[in-house]
Amino acid sequence: MSEGMSEHSEIEAVEPGLEFLRPKFEVEGFPWAQVMGYVFSLLLTFAALLLVVYHAMPPILLLAVILALALGQAGLQLGVFMHLREGRGTAWQLLPLGLAFFIAFALIGTSIWIMLFKTGVS
Amino acid sequence: MPAFLLYLVHTLFPPDTRQPTELGADFMILVTGIGIVFILTRYQKWRWLWREWLTTVDHKRIAIMYLIAAIAMLFRGGVDALMLRTNLALPNVRPIGALEYNEVFTTHGTIMIFFMAMPFIFALFNAVIPLQIGSRDVAFPRLNAMSYWLFAFGAILFNISFVIGGSPNAGWTGYPPLTEVAFNPGPGESYYFLSLLIAGIGTTITGINFLVTIIRMRAPGMTLMRMPMFVWSVLTTSALIIFAFPPLTVALALSLLDRTFGSSFFTLGHGGMPMMYVNLFWLFGHPEVYIVILPAFGIFSEVVPTFSKKRLFGYTTMVISLVSIMFLAYGTWVHHFFTMGAGPTVNAFFGLSTMLIAIPTGVKIFNWIFTMWGGRIRITVAMLYQMAFIPTFVVGGATGIMLSVVPADYQLHNSYWVVAHFHNVLIGGTVFGLLSGLYYWWPKMFGFILNERQGKVAFWLFVIGFWVTFLPQYLLGLEGMTRRMYTYPFGFGWHELNLISTLGAFIMGAGFLALVYNIVWSLRYGERDLTGDPWNGRTLEWSLPSPAPEYNFARIPVVHGVDEFWAMKESGDTLANHLRPQDVKTLELPKNTGMPFMLGLSFFVGGFGMTFLWWPIAIFGGLGVVACLLYAAFDYNDKKHLPADVIRHTERSWGRLQA
Ligand code: HEM
Ligand SMILES: [Cu+2]
Repeated sequence: MSEGMSEHSEIEAVEPGLEFLRPKFEVEGFPWAQVMGYVFSLLLTFAALLLVVYHAMPPILLLAVILALALGQAGLQLGVFMHLREGRGTAWQLLPLGLAFFIAFALIGTSIWIMLFKTGVS
Repeated sequence: MPAFLLYLVHTLFPPDTRQPTELGADFMILVTGIGIVFILTRYQKWRWLWREWLTTVDHKRIAIMYLIAAIAMLFRGGVDALMLRTNLALPNVRPIGALEYNEVFTTHGTIMIFFMAMPFIFALFNAVIPLQIGSRDVAFPRLNAMSYWLFAFGAILFNISFVIGGSPNAGWTGYPPLTEVAFNPGPGESYYFLSLLIAGIGTTITGINFLVTIIRMRAPGMTLMRMPMFVWSVLTTSALIIFAFPPLTVALALSLLDRTFGSSFFTLGHGGMPMMYVNLFWLFGHPEVYIVILPAFGIFSEVVPTFSKKRLFGYTTMVISLVSIMFLAYGTWVHHFFTMGAGPTVNAFFGLSTMLIAIPTGVKIFNWIFTMWGGRIRITVAMLYQMAFIPTFVVGGATGIMLSVVPADYQLHNSYWVVAHFHNVLIGGTVFGLLSGLYYWWPKMFGFILNERQGKVAFWLFVIGFWVTFLPQYLLGLEGMTRRMYTYPFGFGWHELNLISTLGAFIMGAGFLALVYNIVWSLRYGERDLTGDPWNGRTLEWSLPSPAPEYNFARIPVVHGVDEFWAMKESGDTLANHLRPQDVKTLELPKNTGMPFMLGLSFFVGGFGMTFLWWPIAIFGGLGVVACLLYAAFDYNDKKHLPADVIRHTERSWGRLQA
């Protein structure tokens, strides 16, 4: 018995700063937030799909609505699955997040710029 | 029942898969398959295979599996290349017809990029990164195994297209409307989309895994500016992967929807926009070329200091140039479709941004040269590849800059000039780099050294073959020969150059055989690496025995500067000199798991079902994926303990433990 105990105390501690890599399910219980987040993201996706498939509104309005749904979806993903609400190391998260937003908007913006020529052609 | 069988045979083996080459391949696959099953059964190795390899989460073993896959795919892609070149050797010979030529260059390009270059770089990521940063593993070992199996089953799905159902034939770029189901019925393009989607998930996960590993798992004292340069290159590569693969995934998935469910994102009719696919593809595609070249830059930055016996010249500028290449790589993608005609402003902008990349790249080239300058150079195979790389890559880069001049590109686009250019950078840059890394880290991965003399033979065959193949192609491009032609008439003045080029391709083929001979020979007779430091290396991976034990470091080292292991050796203060029995602790390691393999298999089954639109099979595979993920999410018993005594015993057997 004491043999086992001493073995256990010999286990090397996780590197400082890496504790977060250990799963903490035992303390947190069933991941309701994630399950609900998953259900809601499916709902948002299918809502957009159905609106488009059935031409439920005039095109401009349709665009606006699916854009709104997409923003909701992005918020949901960031909030529920990307650990944005968790306190630790927020600065570390904001930096790459800002970078991601920058790259996303730069790429989308330039893509629109590139494809605009079609409006002049067709 | 016979009707059903007839349908099955007709769908799986339609007439165009019943040609001599395909039947030959069928036969080869059958014979090899039976041979492998026989050997595994005869020597009762099935359990061993499952326990030690298919379920492993050890990054060093995953590296070996990536490497085997990459070399196999280099063979397949190489055979494809020889078929293409044979067809073009003389005017009007065409052993293979137009359709088959399309299939072969599509397969060649896709395999070389996604299933040869990518796994090859991942093999080196896995083999080296944790050791270089002084870590026991990657951040997420199970995800790492998942990445591998998604890649492997994606590759298998792509490879069977040749013999089952029909190959894709729309080029490695898969542009619509060539991939539209109305113009391209049959399973070929669906194979392409699905296999790349599956492998792409694995690649994205790898990017995340290594970014986190490098940011969070470094040994104490290893600040960012003390990381070996290969680690820096992998850090930037991972960041590129994370942002570059999503546009590809979107482009492939939407194309698949167009093919499978009749949507019209990229179709010609119904308001689709095929050019948006081109935009999305290259939004991925240009970063992708840097994904495969930056690791090669990293490898050279390790090889040059080691074999020049000098520290890397201009460490800080090397880092700055890597990071600026990373950012610039996102801003140049339009140079692949200047001729789409987006207008002078757009084209000028992207032409300029492309030229800008030459600056940081030039800085790196000069830094390698200055590192060699005044150093004590040892000409090993790894170093030879680096020395061949510099002139080759400079030519490839210069011809690329010429392509970025928009008016010139309007002439050169889709000509053999482009084929010569991209092989110049892909072979002269990526492949030379990977082979250099292969020879350099081989002892660390396998515990023996590849025979240098044979390696040099293979090297010369490769390099000479390379120039003989691709130099004539620049001239062919200037003479107007276009890319993706399956044959050409007499009297265009193209035949001499084409014949020379084909000759060169066969010299490269001989180089590949020499490489394989080199590996097989060294496996049996190669010099064992007993010191763990065969090259007098400078970074931490050489402080470990070869191959490194499962736990890598019995005690995590503390880092004080760049080239930590070199400093240790200078002060006579290596890790082994200091390890006392009481320093060794029981370690917690990740447990092996069959989940990643099953997940890959499920994706494969689902992908196969979707390719042929056999929905029950597709749904079955999809359920398998969900089941695997649920199992993974709720499997809390994923750690095992490695007792301190076992570690002490291992270290003592290496003579690395103080009494
Ligand atoms: C033995 C060396 C090689 C030879 C002889 C060779 C030869 C060829 C040939 C003949 C083509 C078709 C050109 C055409 O008809 O338009 C081609 C295309 C291509 N190759 Fe290679 N190749 C070699 C190695 C590689 C490697 C190592 C890579 C990548 C890492 C690569 C990537 C590509 C790509 C992306 C294409 C374009 C395919 C397409 O048009 O869709 N090749 N190659
Ligand atoms: Cu590019």
